[in-house]
This record gives sequence, C-alpha cells and structure tokens, in this order.
Amino acid sequence: MSVILEAHRLSRSFGGLRAVNAVSFAVEEGEIFGLIGPNGAGKTTLFNLMTGLTPVSSGTFTFRGTQLTGLPPHRIAGLGIGRTFQNIRLFKGLSALENVKISQHTRTVTGLFGGIIGSKTSRLEEIAVEEKGWEILKLVGLADRATEIAANFSYGEQRRLEIARALALDPKVLLLDEPAAGMNAAEKQSLTAFIREVRDLYNLTVVLIEHHVPLVMGLCDRIAVLNFGELIAVGSPEEVQKNPAVIEAYLGAE
Amino acid sequence: MEEFLQNYGFLLVTLVQQSLLAMSLYFPLSAGQLSLASPGFYALGGYVAAIMATADYFAPWRDALGWAIFPLEWLIAGLVSALLAFLVGVPALRLRGIYLALATIAFVEILRVVCLNLAITGGAIGIFGIPQLFESRWGYIWIFGPLLVITLIFSYRLDRSRVGRAFKAIREDELAAGAMGINPTHYKVLSFVIGAVLAGIVGAMSAPFLNTWNARQGTFDASISYLAYVLIGGGRSLWGPMLGAVLLASLPELLRPLKDARLIINGMVLVIASIYLPFGIAGALQRLKLSTLKRYASLRGGR
Amino acid sequence: MDAVQFLQNLLNGISIGSVYAIFALGYTLVFSILGIINFAHGAVFTLGAYLTYSLAVGQFGIGGILADLQIPFQLSFPLSLLIGAILSGVAGVVVERCAFRPLRFRGADPLLALVSSLGVALVTVNVIQYLVGSEIYSFPSDVYGDIRPAFVLHFGEKLVVIRTVQIIIFAVSIVVLALLGYLISWTRIGKALRAVAENASTASLLGINVDRFILYTFFLSGFLGGMAGSLVGTSFGIAGPYFGVAYGLKGLAVIVMGGLGSIPGAVLGGMVIGLAEAFVPADYSAYKEAVAFAFLFVVLLVRPQGLLGRSQIQKV
Repeated sequence: MSVILEAHRLSRSFGGLRAVNAVSFAVEEGEIFGLIGPNGAGKTTLFNLMTGLTPVSSGTFTFRGTQLTGLPPHRIAGLGIGRTFQNIRLFKGLSALENVKISQHTRTVTGLFGGIIGSKTSRLEEIAVEEKGWEILKLVGLADRATEIAANFSYGEQRRLEIARALALDPKVLLLDEPAAGMNAAEKQSLTAFIREVRDLYNLTVVLIEHHVPLVMGLCDRIAVLNFGELIAVGSPEEVQKNPAVIEAYLGAE
Repeated sequence: MEEFLQNYGFLLVTLVQQSLLAMSLYFPLSAGQLSLASPGFYALGGYVAAIMATADYFAPWRDALGWAIFPLEWLIAGLVSALLAFLVGVPALRLRGIYLALATIAFVEILRVVCLNLAITGGAIGIFGIPQLFESRWGYIWIFGPLLVITLIFSYRLDRSRVGRAFKAIREDELAAGAMGINPTHYKVLSFVIGAVLAGIVGAMSAPFLNTWNARQGTFDASISYLAYVLIGGGRSLWGPMLGAVLLASLPELLRPLKDARLIINGMVLVIASIYLPFGIAGALQRLKLSTLKRYASLRGGR
Repeated sequence: MDAVQFLQNLLNGISIGSVYAIFALGYTLVFSILGIINFAHGAVFTLGAYLTYSLAVGQFGIGGILADLQIPFQLSFPLSLLIGAILSGVAGVVVERCAFRPLRFRGADPLLALVSSLGVALVTVNVIQYLVGSEIYSFPSDVYGDIRPAFVLHFGEKLVVIRTVQIIIFAVSIVVLALLGYLISWTRIGKALRAVAENASTASLLGINVDRFILYTFFLSGFLGGMAGSLVGTSFGIAGPYFGVAYGLKGLAVIVMGGLGSIPGAVLGGMVIGLAEAFVPADYSAYKEAVAFAFLFVVLLVRPQGLLGRSQIQKV
C-alpha cells in the first residue's frame, strides 16, 4: 500500500482562533480513514483546506506527491478528490440526473460551440454522460426519481444523492462530511455497507468525518482524532479507543 | 396588411429587438450573475455601427463593400463588445449579487459619460443620418428576426450542453460547483461575454434602425427595463425573457391613448407583476401545468 | 491649482458632500435592515424637493394639470424643509408598503424588489410630471429671508466665494447627521433598529416587532432622502421630475464606497465623492458625472466591502 494523501503541519487560523493547528497525517491508498473529534475540533475546516475552499495559513497537503495547497477547488476536484458537505449543498433546483451529470464536467471536454452545433465529440460525450448518470443513480437507488428536482428529496436521499454526485466526478479519493447525520439506525447500517461497496467498486480511498462513534469504529480502517484543532491520535479503531488523550477529550468535552 | 405594417411595423421590430436585449441579460443570469451591463454594450455596438456608417475614415470601406458593410459592422461590434466584456468581466465577476449589479451600473454610467464627451461619438448630439439597410422600418425584421431565432436556438442548445450545465451549477451553488470541478470564474466570464456580444450586435443592428445614435441609448433605466423583462417573463425559462419583453415593451404603445398617464400605469404594472408573478409569467404557466397534471394524475388514481 | 482655488474647491466639496452623505444614509439604512437596495430612493429625493418647493414658494408654471397653481400660503423655508422631509418620510413608508412588504410576505426573490421599487419610482416621478410638468423650478433667492446671498473672502487679488446656500446645506446636514447619530446610538428605537439590522429573526424572538421597525427605517430613509432633495433643489434648482435619477445613482456609489449598510461609511463616502467632484479640473468638468462611478468601480474591485464595511466570511 502506498500513501495517497499527505498533510504536513497543515494550519489555519481565523482571526486569533487556530481552527487547525499543525496537523500532519497520511492516508493510505484504498483505506477508509475516519476523522473524529468533538464539535468545533476543526474537522470540517480540515476538509475545506484539503479541497481548497479555505486557503491554508501554513503547511502543505499533497495528493500522490502533487502539491494541492494553493490550488483552486475546481483544480483539486479535477485531480480526483470528490466531496460531500456537512450541510448538504446539492444543486437543489435541478433534477437528480442533472446533479450527477454536472459533476462529470472534468471528465468531458465539449466547449461552447461544440455543444451548440452538436459536434460528433459532444454527441458521444452527451450519451456517455447520460449513461454514467443513470448508472450512478441506480447504484445509490435513486434511478426511479432521476428527473425530480433535488429539493423534493428526503434528507437521507439528499445525502445519498450528494455521494452520487461526488462519485460522478470519477474521484480517486472521496471525502464524506458526516454522511450519516440525521439518519436512523437502519439507514446507518446500510450506509456502512454502501460505503464499503463503492470503495471496492471504484477502488476509492475514503476519508470521512463522523460523530456516530459505533459507525466509525465498525467502518474505518484507521481513525484520526482532532481536538481544538490539534491531532491528538491516529491509529486503528482499537488503538484510538484505548488512547487516554482521546478518552479525556471526549469525556472532558461532554 | 400594407397599412398594418405601416402603423405597427416599427413596434413589432422593437418588440423583437427588446426581446433580444432581454436575452442578453438572461445569459449571465443563467449562470447566476446579475449583470446590468447590457445597455452599455448595446450603446457601444450602436456607436461602432454608426461610426463605421458615417465617418469619413470608413468611406472607402463603404464604397468597396456596399451592403456588406452592415454584417461587418455587426461582426466588429460583437468583437469589440466581447473584448471589453472580458476586460471588465474578469475583475468584476469576483463580485457577487448586488455588488456585481452595482459594478455593472457603474460601467454603464462611465461609458455613457465618456460617449457624451468624445468627438468621435458626436458628443451630446450623437450621430445622426445613419444610412439605412432597408427602405422601411418593418424591413429590419429580416435582421432582428433571424437573430432572435438563432439566439433562441443557441439558448435551447446551451441549456442541454456541458457548458450550460456548468452555468446552471454556478447559479445553484457556486461553491459546490467549484468543488465539482467547474471553474466558476471561467464560466461566469463566458456567460457575461455571451450577453455582451449579443447586446453589442443588437446595438449595431439598431443604429440604422433608429437612424440616430446618442448617449441616451445606454442608460440605467434601460438596465432595469431589461431586468424587468427577464424577471417578469420568468428568469428560469428560455421563453420567459421574450415573453416579458413583448408584454412590457408593448405596454406603452397599448396605453398610448392614456397619453401622459401611460408611464404611471407602466410603473404600476412593474409593481403588481413583481408581487403577483414572483416566478414570472413562464414560472406561473409552469406551475399551472404541473398542478393540472397532478390533478389529472389524482383523478386516474396515480401518485 | 493654487491654495485659494484649493480652499474654494474644498468648501464646495464639503458642502455637496454633506448632502450626498444624508441622502446615501437613506439607502444604507434600508440596506442594513433588508439587505436590498431601494431604487425608489431617488424618486423620494425628487418628491422632497417638490414638496418643499410647494410649501415655501407654492407657484407652478405652465405645464401639467396644476399649471398656474398658486398655493394660498407660504411657509418659511425651515418649516417647509421640515414638513417636506416629514412628508417624504411618509412617502418612504408608502414605498415600503407597496414595493417591499408584499414581496417579503410572499417570500419572493429579493431581486424582484429592485424591479418593484423602480416601478414605484416610475409612478412617483410621472405623477409629479403629470401634475406640475417638466419645467425647471428654482427657489427664489429670498426664500431664506433677508440675508446676504454669499460671503466673499479676500486673499489679496483672489476671492473665495461661499454661497449662503452652501452654508445652510452644510449646517442642516450636520444637524441631521448628529440627530440621526444620537437616535441610532443612544435611544431605545436606535438599539432595536440595530438589533433588527444585525439579525431580524433573533430580534423578533426578543419581542421586537420587526415589521414596525422596517417601517420606521423607511420613514427615516424617506425623511433623509426628501431633505437631501430639498437642499440640492435650493442650491441648484429642481431640474424637472427626473432630476433625482442622477443623484439616486450617485448615492449608490457613495454607499458602496463607504461600505453597504455602514452608517459612518455613508458619511465618509459622501464626503469623499463630494470632494472628488469638486476637485475635477474645469477643463474636464464634463467628466464630473463619471467621477462617482469611476470611484465605485475601483472600490468594488479593490475593496468590495467598502472603506468602512465589514468583510463577510462565507460559511461552508
């Protein structure tokens, strides 16, 4: 196994607050990597640093040796890093199918005029985009509602559609920000199976933020724990569970 | 028929022309950008055409090209607009929402004051006696009409293409669009340039149509008129801008018997339409269609 | 430019800048509460000027249906100015009721308020035109009573002329600004207004009647707009019903310059633009109208939050 993502002393402060402070870790290719920590620990900020939505204050972040810090979000996405958002950010006024078509943007090349006049490349691309869109919607179980607008979907369905949208990007790494939030126990169970399934199907590396500890423990190969912007532990679920610093962070915070 | 065209030819061509200007605002709006710059590019295109049609410098061109000078005017107006739109758009499109709208208002005003003061644009008087392309006003339908058809086809095809999807994604959520690999700046500038080129070409076609061209052609009032066309027609539908333009632009003519009071009524229509048609006429029709379909489905025992 | 010319420009700039400031405050108050620009503000400015003119002078000329109207009373200028501004405030309330409230209650796209407020502006301006025509009306020079029209300062050969109107404009503007500052900073109404501006839904949870405060804001906004229109009208004359449009646009430049929604920003922006216009060399005076917009454009590109505005951090 080789390292696919590597953070080196990644930091970000807002005004005087150090939201993420000198965080270093490495994610192995193909693993499911969990990111946990109390509220306000800096998990989502870390995701935003990794995807270029928030500029880093200092430190570096690399993807297969390519420096990502300083790149705009669309370039990072283009390199193969797809993500979901904690507070779902679908293209709500558009259909489910359009949502998954849009994120195939970087895998297609049709320009303005090609699309207007309907050049051969553009027609072939449109067919492929359409097919792949349906395929992914089938995978997440939303194919029967493909033409409905995203805003009409239930919370759990919107979460699944967001994962579908990220998958349509054809990513190497999938970043999931609280994918189980708002789901009931049964849905959480099937989500765990689903994440494993897509990881195997698309040879993905998955990094996920999650609050629900049993889900993380059951799903992740390794876990990193953040507290007050600092990384306090990395390791297998068993190691992390026994780590005194982690126990203190969780008990002290509650 | 002859008499009808005599009386209403000018109005009909004006409606087509106003529909085109509404479309010029619709393109940036389809990528979520509220730009009020169209009247600026419209004025610019008109000046390009008026200058090429009247200035001594271009006399040899006119002699050599004959009628072909007109398409050349449109081409150059489109290119100049594209260039200026790119130069203004790259910095201005970092701004969002109302800030972008204000920056484009500033652009229109600056351009207007500059045109009011330059010798080449004829100063406050403007440029008059612009040579005609057709004998009658109605004749201009043969250039504005095809342009509208092309624009509608363009817009229809765009909506179903990769670039059009990128526009929609940015309109829905710029940040998420970026995270899905779409370069927001690139497509925002592109949508702005498309609108500007259209407005510039419409301006170049309008200069002979209106016979004179001056700084009153590109004003703030026009910006808001076009915005009203789009919003009241329906900003999310291909047909909306045209529908709005036809209704609102024909209103002063329909109200002509009311003389001075017609602008008062015109203002009231804007207020009432904003209140009662928040999704535009196209949006209202869409809803009507949906609810009718639903009722139909429920009658048949469907979902 | 010599020192004397500099002094003259400075005085001219401060005087007009102070009017820009109170006018722009009307915009900024509404923006700070609703986050939207009221395009009818320029029309209220016009209306205020006509109202004050009617009250103080009361005769209209040849056009419109009120031609040759002679209003049977003439109020003193200060009283006219005050009543004109209060009536403009009422007009502001009407604008809110017609163009903003119905949209708000229906949860419409905020962009529509641009169109509906412009619709109200169109109605207002054309009603004025319908009633009194489009002639230019100038306030007579004795409208302020029996005082000298200008003060002349001698600097050797050179003169600095300060028109009495300019002093009046400046003085009135400063008084209005001071009162507004007091109102917003120290009174209960002001505190509630600031709470609504900060977060309307929290304010309503705290028991503040948000809709009533929106009305107060529009009253204040109209009052300031009408006052500014009257002051500009006394200084330069009322150049027809459309004369507010240019000021309306310039006001936008002023508030963006200072920072949308910032009260000190509107004052600073007004002064900066007033002074910038005053210092445009005579040879380029034709470009004076573009100065505000050039500033607006540059400020937006360099510092979109304006000179005194807060930058907004977008939440992901």
